[in-house]
Amino acid sequence: MPTPNVINGIPLWWYLLVASGLFAIGLYGVLARKNAIAMLMGVELMLNSVNLNLLAFWRYLNPTSAAGMAFAAFVFVVAAAEAAVGLALIISVYRTLHSIDPEKLDQLKL
Amino acid sequence: MGITVQQVIFVCLAAIVLGAALFVVTTRNLFRGALMLALAFLGVAGFYVLLDLGLFAVAQVMIYIGAISILIIFSVMLTCGMQAMIPRNAQAGGVAILAALLFVLLALVFGPVRLTLDLTGVPLLSTLFRTETPRVVGDVPWRYNTQAVAETYISDFGRALVDINQFLLPFLLIAFLVDVVLAGAILIARQRKPAEVLAEQQEIAAEEAAEAAALRTAEGAPAMPSTAAATVADH
Repeated sequence: MPTPNVINGIPLWWYLLVASGLFAIGLYGVLARKNAIAMLMGVELMLNSVNLNLLAFWRYLNPTSAAGMAFAAFVFVVAAAEAAVGLALIISVYRTLHSIDPEKLDQLKL
Repeated sequence: MGITVQQVIFVCLAAIVLGAALFVVTTRNLFRGALMLALAFLGVAGFYVLLDLGLFAVAQVMIYIGAISILIIFSVMLTCGMQAMIPRNAQAGGVAILAALLFVLLALVFGPVRLTLDLTGVPLLSTLFRTETPRVVGDVPWRYNTQAVAETYISDFGRALVDINQFLLPFLLIAFLVDVVLAGAILIARQRKPAEVLAEQQEIAAEEAAEAAALRTAEGAPAMPSTAAATVADH
Protein backbone atom coordinates (compact mmCIF):
# COMPACT_ATOMS: atom_id res chain seq x y z
CA MET A 1 0.00 0.00 0.00
CA PRO A 2 1.74 3.20 -1.08
CA THR A 3 1.24 5.79 1.59
CA PRO A 4 0.53 9.32 0.37
CA ASN A 5 2.13 10.87 3.43
CA VAL A 6 5.59 11.23 1.96
CA ILE A 7 7.72 14.26 1.18
CA ASN A 8 10.45 13.75 -1.44
CA GLY A 9 9.59 10.05 -1.27
CA ILE A 10 10.39 9.80 2.42
CA PRO A 11 7.80 8.91 5.07
CA LEU A 12 7.84 10.66 8.44
CA TRP A 13 8.88 7.61 10.46
CA TRP A 14 12.28 7.47 8.73
CA TYR A 15 13.17 10.80 10.33
CA LEU A 16 11.71 9.74 13.67
CA LEU A 17 13.72 6.53 13.63
CA VAL A 18 17.00 8.30 12.82
CA ALA A 19 16.29 10.90 15.52
CA SER A 20 15.54 8.10 18.02
CA GLY A 21 18.84 6.43 17.22
CA LEU A 22 20.73 9.70 17.53
CA PHE A 23 19.04 10.40 20.88
CA ALA A 24 19.90 6.94 22.23
CA ILE A 25 23.54 7.34 21.14
CA GLY A 26 23.68 10.78 22.77
CA LEU A 27 22.19 9.40 25.98
CA TYR A 28 24.85 6.69 26.06
CA GLY A 29 27.50 9.37 25.50
CA VAL A 30 26.25 11.50 28.39
CA LEU A 31 25.96 8.67 30.91
CA ALA A 32 28.91 6.45 29.98
CA ARG A 33 31.79 8.86 29.33
CA LYS A 34 34.56 9.67 31.76
CA ASN A 35 35.30 13.13 30.42
CA ALA A 36 33.17 16.24 30.87
CA ILE A 37 33.70 17.48 27.29
CA ALA A 38 32.65 14.08 25.91
CA MET A 39 29.51 14.30 28.04
CA LEU A 40 28.74 17.72 26.56
CA MET A 41 29.17 16.23 23.10
CA GLY A 42 26.51 13.68 24.00
CA VAL A 43 24.18 16.47 25.09
CA GLU A 44 24.72 18.22 21.75
CA LEU A 45 23.86 15.01 19.88
CA MET A 46 20.64 14.68 21.90
CA LEU A 47 19.67 18.31 21.23
CA ASN A 48 20.29 17.75 17.52
CA SER A 49 18.04 14.71 17.45
CA VAL A 50 15.27 16.60 19.27
CA ASN A 51 15.54 19.43 16.76
CA LEU A 52 15.38 17.01 13.84
CA ASN A 53 12.27 15.48 15.41
CA LEU A 54 10.62 18.87 15.92
CA LEU A 55 11.26 20.06 12.39
CA ALA A 56 10.20 16.75 10.83
CA PHE A 57 6.93 16.78 12.76
CA TRP A 58 6.34 20.41 11.82
CA ARG A 59 7.06 19.75 8.14
CA TYR A 60 4.81 16.70 7.87
CA LEU A 61 1.90 17.68 10.11
CA ASN A 62 1.60 21.47 10.26
CA PRO A 63 3.79 23.33 7.75
CA THR A 64 1.48 26.35 7.57
CA SER A 65 2.17 27.74 11.06
CA ALA A 66 5.46 29.20 12.26
CA ALA A 67 5.31 27.46 15.65
CA GLY A 68 7.53 24.52 14.74
CA MET A 69 10.20 26.77 13.28
CA ALA A 70 10.11 29.03 16.34
CA PHE A 71 10.55 26.02 18.66
CA ALA A 72 13.46 24.73 16.63
CA ALA A 73 15.12 28.15 16.52
CA PHE A 74 14.84 28.48 20.30
CA VAL A 75 16.37 25.03 20.74
CA PHE A 76 19.29 26.20 18.54
CA VAL A 77 19.83 29.25 20.74
CA VAL A 78 19.58 27.34 24.00
CA ALA A 79 22.00 24.71 22.68
CA ALA A 80 24.54 27.42 21.84
CA ALA A 81 24.10 29.02 25.29
CA GLU A 82 24.45 25.64 27.00
CA ALA A 83 27.65 24.88 25.11
CA ALA A 84 29.16 28.28 25.96
CA VAL A 85 28.47 28.05 29.69
CA GLY A 86 29.29 24.34 29.90
CA LEU A 87 32.66 24.73 28.23
CA ALA A 88 33.49 27.83 30.31
CA LEU A 89 32.76 25.81 33.45
CA ILE A 90 34.88 22.91 32.21
CA ILE A 91 37.84 25.21 31.50
CA SER A 92 37.45 26.82 34.91
CA VAL A 93 37.34 23.41 36.61
CA TYR A 94 40.38 22.26 34.64
CA ARG A 95 42.28 25.30 35.83
CA THR A 96 41.65 24.50 39.49
CA LEU A 97 41.71 20.69 39.52
CA HIS A 98 43.86 19.90 36.41
CA SER A 99 41.33 17.23 35.51
CA ILE A 100 37.93 17.13 33.85
CA ASP A 101 36.91 13.71 35.08
CA PRO A 102 33.39 14.31 36.42
CA GLU A 103 33.96 11.69 39.12
CA LYS A 104 36.68 13.87 40.65
CA LEU A 105 34.37 16.87 40.97
CA ASP A 106 33.36 16.13 44.55
CA GLN A 107 34.54 19.32 46.23
CA LEU A 108 31.10 19.93 47.73
CA LYS A 109 31.01 16.46 49.29
CA LEU A 110 31.84 16.37 52.99
CA MET B 1 7.28 2.06 -6.32
CA GLY B 2 10.92 2.50 -7.22
CA ILE B 3 13.64 3.89 -5.06
CA THR B 4 14.01 7.63 -5.48
CA VAL B 5 17.23 9.60 -5.36
CA GLN B 6 16.09 11.32 -2.17
CA GLN B 7 15.61 7.98 -0.44
CA VAL B 8 19.15 6.94 -1.34
CA ILE B 9 20.45 10.28 -0.06
CA PHE B 10 18.46 9.86 3.14
CA VAL B 11 19.89 6.41 3.84
CA CYS B 12 23.44 7.66 3.16
CA LEU B 13 22.89 10.64 5.47
CA ALA B 14 21.46 8.39 8.18
CA ALA B 15 24.49 6.09 7.94
CA ILE B 16 26.87 9.08 8.14
CA VAL B 17 25.08 10.71 11.07
CA LEU B 18 24.65 7.56 13.16
CA GLY B 19 28.14 6.28 12.35
CA ALA B 20 29.75 9.60 13.26
CA ALA B 21 27.68 9.79 16.46
CA LEU B 22 28.74 6.27 17.46
CA PHE B 23 32.37 7.22 16.83
CA VAL B 24 31.92 10.34 18.99
CA VAL B 25 30.67 8.39 22.00
CA THR B 26 33.19 5.54 21.78
CA THR B 27 36.51 7.04 20.65
CA ARG B 28 39.55 7.36 22.89
CA ASN B 29 40.86 10.38 20.98
CA LEU B 30 38.59 13.25 21.92
CA PHE B 31 39.95 15.54 19.19
CA ARG B 32 38.90 13.13 16.45
CA GLY B 33 35.60 12.78 18.30
CA ALA B 34 35.06 16.54 18.06
CA LEU B 35 35.75 16.47 14.31
CA MET B 36 33.31 13.56 13.88
CA LEU B 37 30.76 15.54 15.89
CA ALA B 38 31.02 18.29 13.26
CA LEU B 39 30.39 15.63 10.59
CA ALA B 40 27.27 14.46 12.44
CA PHE B 41 26.05 18.08 12.61
CA LEU B 42 26.61 18.38 8.85
CA GLY B 43 24.56 15.25 8.25
CA VAL B 44 21.68 16.69 10.26
CA ALA B 45 21.91 19.82 8.09
CA GLY B 46 21.49 17.47 5.11
CA PHE B 47 18.27 16.17 6.68
CA TYR B 48 17.01 19.75 6.91
CA VAL B 49 17.68 20.17 3.20
CA LEU B 50 15.65 17.01 2.53
CA LEU B 51 12.83 18.56 4.58
CA ASP B 52 12.92 21.62 2.22
CA LEU B 53 14.14 23.80 5.10
CA GLY B 54 17.14 25.58 3.66
CA LEU B 55 17.03 28.23 6.39
CA PHE B 56 17.59 25.65 9.13
CA ALA B 57 20.28 23.85 7.15
CA VAL B 58 22.20 27.13 6.93
CA ALA B 59 21.54 27.89 10.60
CA GLN B 60 22.74 24.40 11.53
CA VAL B 61 25.99 24.87 9.62
CA MET B 62 26.55 28.34 11.07
CA ILE B 63 25.61 27.67 14.69
CA TYR B 64 26.55 24.04 15.25
CA ILE B 65 29.54 23.65 12.95
CA GLY B 66 30.69 27.27 12.98
CA ALA B 67 30.25 27.99 16.67
CA ILE B 68 29.63 24.96 18.87
CA SER B 69 32.06 22.58 17.15
CA ILE B 70 34.79 25.21 17.22
CA LEU B 71 34.12 25.87 20.91
CA ILE B 72 34.34 22.15 21.66
CA ILE B 73 37.53 21.71 19.62
CA PHE B 74 39.16 24.63 21.45
CA SER B 75 38.11 23.24 24.81
CA VAL B 76 39.57 19.86 23.91
CA MET B 77 42.84 21.56 23.00
CA LEU B 78 42.84 23.71 26.16
CA THR B 79 42.30 20.74 28.46
CA CYS B 80 44.06 17.41 28.49
CA GLY B 81 41.54 15.61 26.34
CA MET B 82 43.76 15.09 23.31
CA GLN B 83 45.72 12.22 24.78
CA ALA B 84 44.25 8.76 24.87
CA MET B 85 41.74 8.68 27.69
CA ILE B 86 39.65 6.05 29.35
CA PRO B 87 36.64 6.05 27.04
CA ARG B 88 33.95 4.85 29.44
CA ASN B 89 33.15 4.65 33.11
CA ALA B 90 32.04 1.75 35.27
CA GLN B 91 28.35 2.05 34.49
CA ALA B 92 28.83 1.95 30.68
CA GLY B 93 27.45 -1.57 30.21
CA GLY B 94 24.19 -0.85 31.99
CA VAL B 95 23.86 2.48 30.21
CA ALA B 96 24.33 0.81 26.83
CA ILE B 97 21.49 -1.59 27.61
CA LEU B 98 19.34 1.35 28.79
CA ALA B 99 20.01 3.34 25.61
CA ALA B 100 19.26 0.31 23.43
CA LEU B 101 15.99 -0.25 25.30
CA LEU B 102 15.05 3.40 24.83
CA PHE B 103 15.73 3.13 21.11
CA VAL B 104 13.61 -0.02 20.83
CA LEU B 105 10.77 1.68 22.72
CA LEU B 106 10.90 4.77 20.50
CA ALA B 107 11.09 2.60 17.38
CA LEU B 108 8.01 0.71 18.52
CA VAL B 109 6.13 3.96 19.17
CA PHE B 110 7.17 5.72 15.95
CA GLY B 111 8.22 2.94 13.58
CA PRO B 112 6.11 1.23 10.94
CA VAL B 113 5.64 -1.96 12.97
CA ARG B 114 2.56 -1.76 15.15
CA LEU B 115 2.39 -3.70 18.37
CA THR B 116 -0.53 -6.16 18.19
CA LEU B 117 -0.70 -6.76 21.94
CA ASP B 118 -3.88 -5.60 23.65
CA LEU B 119 -2.61 -3.06 26.14
CA THR B 120 -5.89 -1.46 27.24
CA GLY B 121 -5.78 -0.88 30.97
CA VAL B 122 -1.99 -0.63 31.16
CA PRO B 123 -1.63 3.03 32.13
CA LEU B 124 1.26 4.42 30.10
CA LEU B 125 1.71 1.80 27.41
CA SER B 126 -1.91 1.86 26.25
CA THR B 127 -1.59 5.53 25.28
CA LEU B 128 1.77 5.02 23.56
CA PHE B 129 1.08 1.87 21.57
CA ARG B 130 -2.11 2.35 19.62
CA THR B 131 -3.01 0.41 16.51
CA GLU B 132 -5.37 2.92 14.90
CA THR B 133 -4.77 4.44 11.48
CA PRO B 134 -4.09 7.35 11.27
CA ARG B 135 -1.68 7.03 14.12
CA VAL B 136 -2.72 8.40 17.50
CA VAL B 137 -0.21 9.38 20.17
CA GLY B 138 -1.85 10.38 23.42
CA ASP B 139 -5.25 11.57 22.27
CA VAL B 140 -4.13 13.57 19.24
CA PRO B 141 -4.40 11.86 15.85
CA TRP B 142 -1.69 12.79 13.39
CA ARG B 143 -3.22 14.65 10.48
CA TYR B 144 -0.68 14.75 7.72
CA ASN B 145 -0.39 17.96 5.76
CA THR B 146 2.36 17.39 3.24
CA GLN B 147 1.79 20.48 1.13
CA ALA B 148 4.89 22.34 0.02
CA VAL B 149 6.42 24.85 2.39
CA ALA B 150 5.32 28.38 1.49
CA GLU B 151 7.91 30.18 -0.62
CA THR B 152 7.85 33.05 1.85
CA TYR B 153 8.40 30.82 4.88
CA ILE B 154 11.52 32.68 5.96
CA SER B 155 9.86 36.09 6.01
CA ASP B 156 6.74 34.57 7.62
CA PHE B 157 8.95 33.14 10.31
CA GLY B 158 10.68 36.48 10.82
CA ARG B 159 7.35 38.27 11.15
CA ALA B 160 6.04 35.65 13.58
CA LEU B 161 9.08 36.21 15.80
CA VAL B 162 8.38 39.93 16.19
CA ASP B 163 4.58 39.64 16.25
CA ILE B 164 3.18 40.49 19.66
CA ASN B 165 0.43 37.89 19.17
CA GLN B 166 2.88 35.12 18.33
CA PHE B 167 6.46 34.79 19.53
CA LEU B 168 7.64 38.27 20.52
CA LEU B 169 7.83 37.48 24.25
CA PRO B 170 9.74 34.20 23.88
CA PHE B 171 11.99 35.92 21.35
CA LEU B 172 12.85 38.70 23.81
CA LEU B 173 13.33 36.21 26.64
CA ILE B 174 15.69 34.11 24.54
CA ALA B 175 17.64 37.25 23.57
CA PHE B 176 17.95 38.14 27.26
CA LEU B 177 19.06 34.57 28.00
CA VAL B 178 21.82 34.80 25.39
CA ASP B 179 23.02 38.12 26.83
CA VAL B 180 23.19 36.76 30.37
CA VAL B 181 24.80 33.53 29.23
CA LEU B 182 27.55 35.29 27.27
CA ALA B 183 28.37 37.54 30.22
CA GLY B 184 28.30 34.53 32.56
CA ALA B 185 30.52 32.43 30.32
CA ILE B 186 33.10 35.21 30.12
CA LEU B 187 32.96 35.68 33.90
CA ILE B 188 33.39 31.97 34.59
CA ALA B 189 36.17 31.27 32.10
CA ARG B 190 38.07 34.53 32.71
CA GLN B 191 41.76 34.13 33.44
CA ARG B 192 42.28 36.04 36.67
CA LYS B 193 45.26 38.34 37.14
CA PRO B 194 48.12 36.84 39.20
CA ALA B 195 47.87 39.70 41.74
CA GLU B 196 44.20 38.93 42.28
CA VAL B 197 44.90 35.23 42.77
CA LEU B 198 47.75 36.05 45.17
CA ALA B 199 45.54 38.36 47.24
CA GLU B 200 42.86 35.69 47.43
CA GLN B 201 45.38 33.06 48.49
CA GLN B 202 46.71 35.34 51.21
CA GLU B 203 43.17 35.97 52.38
CA ILE B 204 42.49 32.24 52.57
CA ALA B 205 45.76 31.66 54.39
CA ALA B 206 44.93 34.39 56.92
CA GLU B 207 41.50 32.90 57.47
CA GLU B 208 43.00 29.45 58.00
CA ALA B 209 45.51 30.84 60.46
CA ALA B 210 42.74 32.61 62.38
CA GLU B 211 40.72 29.39 62.42
CA ALA B 212 43.67 27.41 63.69
CA ALA B 213 44.31 29.99 66.40
CA ALA B 214 40.66 29.84 67.48
CA LEU B 215 40.87 26.06 67.60
CA ARG B 216 44.02 26.22 69.73
CA THR B 217 42.45 28.59 72.25
CA ALA B 218 39.35 26.38 72.41
CA GLU B 219 41.53 23.34 73.11
CA GLY B 220 43.66 25.32 75.47
CA ALA B 221 40.69 26.52 77.53
CA PRO B 222 40.37 23.48 79.84
CA ALA B 223 44.14 23.50 80.30
CA MET B 224 43.98 27.13 81.46
CA PRO B 225 43.57 26.48 85.20
CA SER B 226 46.68 24.28 85.35
CA THR B 227 48.77 26.95 83.61
CA ALA B 228 47.27 29.53 85.96
CA ALA B 229 48.17 27.29 88.88
CA ALA B 230 51.69 26.93 87.50
CA THR B 231 52.10 30.69 87.27
CA VAL B 232 50.75 31.05 90.78
CA ALA B 233 53.19 28.42 92.01
CA ASP B 234 56.00 30.30 90.27
CA HIS B 235 55.15 33.37 92.27
